[in-house]
This record gives sequence, C-alpha cells and structure tokens, in this order.
Amino acid sequence: MFGAIEKPLPRPSEDSAPFWEAALRGELRMQRCGGCGHVRFPPSLLCPRCLSEAAEWVALSGRGTVYSWVVVHQSQHPAFNPDAPYNVVIIQLDEGPRLHGNLVGTPNQEIHIGMPVEVVFDKVSDDTALVRWKRA
Amino acid sequence: MSSVSGRYAIVGVGTSRFGKLQGVSTMGFTLEASKRAIEDAGIGRDAIDGVLVMMPAIMGEQHGWAARVAGYLGLEPTFSATMDLGGATACGSVQTAMAAIDAGYCTAVLCCFATQNWPQGVAMQLFGSEFQVPYGDVGALTLMGHIKRRQMHEHGYTEAQYGQIAVTWRAHARDNPEAQMQKPMTLEQYLASRWVVEPLRLFDCCPNTDGGGACIVTSLERARDLKQKPARILGAGQTHATEIIHPNGRDPERLSGSRAADQVYAMAGVQPADVDCAQLYDAFTPRVMHDLVAYGFCAPGEAGAFVEAGQVTHGGSLPCNTAGGLISEGHLSGFGHIREAVRQVRGTAAARQVPDCELCLVTGYGGAPHEAPPTVSYSALLLGRD
Ligand SMILES: [Zn+2]
Repeated sequence: MFGAIEKPLPRPSEDSAPFWEAALRGELRMQRCGGCGHVRFPPSLLCPRCLSEAAEWVALSGRGTVYSWVVVHQSQHPAFNPDAPYNVVIIQLDEGPRLHGNLVGTPNQEIHIGMPVEVVFDKVSDDTALVRWKRA
Repeated sequence: MSSVSGRYAIVGVGTSRFGKLQGVSTMGFTLEASKRAIEDAGIGRDAIDGVLVMMPAIMGEQHGWAARVAGYLGLEPTFSATMDLGGATACGSVQTAMAAIDAGYCTAVLCCFATQNWPQGVAMQLFGSEFQVPYGDVGALTLMGHIKRRQMHEHGYTEAQYGQIAVTWRAHARDNPEAQMQKPMTLEQYLASRWVVEPLRLFDCCPNTDGGGACIVTSLERARDLKQKPARILGAGQTHATEIIHPNGRDPERLSGSRAADQVYAMAGVQPADVDCAQLYDAFTPRVMHDLVAYGFCAPGEAGAFVEAGQVTHGGSLPCNTAGGLISEGHLSGFGHIREAVRQVRGTAAARQVPDCELCLVTGYGGAPHEAPPTVSYSALLLGRD
C-alpha cells in the first residue's frame, strides 16, 4: 500500500503572504484600497477599480452567506479522495468579495444558498491555517 | 470594426485521430490535424505564412510552441503566436488571423491545437489557485458545478432540462461516425448517471479527449481559388471577465458572454434570429444554458424551456452542436465546433446537414476558470455561406 498522500497546502506569494499570516493568527484580512475603499481579492499590487497601489490589510467581519455550494463526489486530487463526498462553497462576504472554501459542521444536504455563515480557522500545520466556514 | 467582415474565410479544416489515444504526442496530434486541414483546403504548404497555436500549457509542455509547430511543418512564417485563451482560443485564433492578414503581416494562417492528456515526461499541473486547491477545489468541475447550482437557483432550470441537452447531443453524435460517444442515451440514463461534482452529473461532462484540430484562414479572393467552398467569416468577438469572484454590479441578467455576442452580431450585421445553427462551447451542459441566453436566443431564464421544447435539435428553431458537441463528439477545444460549422455552411455535413444553412454561430469559452480570480474568456465567430 502507498502511504497517505499529503494534501496540497498554500504556498504564499509576496502578494498573498499577509492573508495567510493573518489566518494563522485567527484573523480574516484582505486589502482595502487607499484610493477608493474597494476591498480587494485576490491580493494584488494594485486596485482593479482605481489602480491605486495604496492599501491596508484590514480585518473583515468574517461573516457572509453561501453564494453557491457543490459536493465533490469524484475528487480531482488523490489526497482528497478519502474525504469524498465533501463540499466546496463560495461565500459572499459581507464586505463584497467572494471566497472559496469548505463549510464544516453542517451535513452537506442542509447547505443552501443564502445561508448565513461565519469564518473558522483550521490549523492544519505549524505554519498554515485554512479559512473554513460554519453556519452562523 | 466591420471592415474585415466577410473579407476572410476558413478554407480548410481538419482533426487528428481523436479519442482515448495514447502513444501519440501533443505535437504529433497537432501536426496530424494541421496536415489534414492543409489537404482539405488544397492550399500549397508554402502559401501558409502565419501560424497560431493554442498553448498546451496545462500539460506542462514547452515554450515557443507556435514556432515549434511551424518548424515541424517545414514552414518559416512571417507571423506566429502561441495563444492562451483555453477553450476560447479556437474562435479567438481565427479572429487574430483575420487581423494579422488585414495588417499585412501574412496572407494565410494555420490555427491549430492538440492535447495528449497523459503525456510522458512532463509534469502534470495542478489546476487551481492557493485559495482553492487546499479546499479540495481542483480543476474546472467545481466551477461548473457552481454555475449549474446558480442557474438552477436563479432560473429554476430542472435536471431534466440539462439532461435534454446531453440526450440531444448524443443523438446528434450518432450521425457523426467520428464521435467518441455513440451509445444511445435516454433521459432516464442521464438522470441515473452518478454525481461527479453535485449538482453536476457524469453526463453533464465531456470526455477527456486526446487529439487535435486545425483550420486555415485566408482572404476571400484566395479562398475562391481553392478546392472547397469558402466559409466566410462574417463576425468575430471576445470578452474576458472575473465574474464569479468579483461581483461587478452589472445587471445580473446581462451575462459576461453577452459582450462577445454584441461584437459578433454587430460586425456581421445580423440578429440572433438570422442564425441557422449554432455550435456552442459545451464542455459541460450549464455552458449551453449560458450561451443560449448570452447570444440572444432566449430571454434570461428561458433557456431551460427552450431546450425542453426541442429547439436545439434538428427540426428545432436552432439546431445546435450538430456533430455531438464536446460532450459526445469529444473535447477538441472548440476546433471540432469550427470544423462542424464550416461543413454546415459548405453544405457538406451529410446526415447532419441543417437545410439551407447560411449562417452558423460558433462560441468558445475558457481561460482559467478554476483560478482565483476565475478568469473567464468568451469568444465567438459567425460563419456564412459564400
Ligand atoms: Zn481602488
């Protein structure tokens, strides 16, 4: 038998490192544009609305609603096969952007569009916490 | 923008062998498809001075792909580019070819692509961004599941309506001896097919296809001296969006693909009602629902009923994907759609021929829909009978 295949973890870039560092501290942070206030995602050198390079990494409320959800029955990566069927959700954040993730603690068939959720942080290694969601 | 409308034509189309075919490289399939398109056109190889190739990046192939293809074909083109619009590349490359000829960079352009899904000696790339892959969100299937979920939520489209698309394409494929999927399919079989990424069923999805496709674009004057009846390129359009992750505040009924539609119709000077048949980019059934609305064949939310009424079948108001589409003919990244559209306007589609087909729409869709942000490219061509 083969050993367990490790799940791929994020390898932060110069742009995304503050997102993952915040997650490890238990905070959901994104860039807020210093020019127009747009909350920017994914992380970037500049704002797609006004092209300003000014931004600060602000803490978000961690609240949102389910914009869409699917249940993966046939995983496209062997490391996730043992988890199937598992959900992948897109969360509409109260602050504007949408974020992919998993919803935990609720049976898949009870998930529905519009369901209020809040962020949870799942420390999966010494230096990585994934951003997941639970029913609010 | 209308200056190039009708002045250029697709003069040759070809595919390689395709299906589940190991033992032929990506390059091998590219060359085979290209040779067949050259033969179909009856054009001298030396006359081809432009080469546009779709980047096979997803399988970790090398840089400089277009020049490489030209070299293997023994060409020294004066214009070449490797294009990377995913499934939007086929239509996009034809659009680029017209522009390049119009600019005087070249006079006849080979557009081509191939995929070997299981190549030897190259690293497979993990599809998806750091904001998706750690959650088990890998590849295009989850995005397509989300799109189907949102369509069903917003418009009330039913499972049976998606199934009708799959069943119709399968029936069309049975008149296409080259199609990969030949077994008859019933709606019951569709509804019994397993979930892949719920709400996406197995029969909502196209098969992985090893193979390639190609077409050749040149001026209408030259086209008329060649072997085949020219397929005139009356319109072309494209647009790119990140709609899934960046709500853009636009009218939600106004889909991103609508901008490509506006361009293609304006350039051709026609309306959706003028279109005789369509080859819609259908790697997954929800794409068909999207394009039926975006390209103006249905009011927003009406695509399900349109399909259910049989309008996309032979005999319907808009026969679609007459060769079986990506779902049943196979995933030739849109080059199969171009080939079928050319045959329809040439009048050589045999048992699949749409009577009096003067105008055929082809759509493309791709990019990196599984990245963050999902960067989605839409492209379209309107081909007309000469
Ligand atoms: Zn800004």
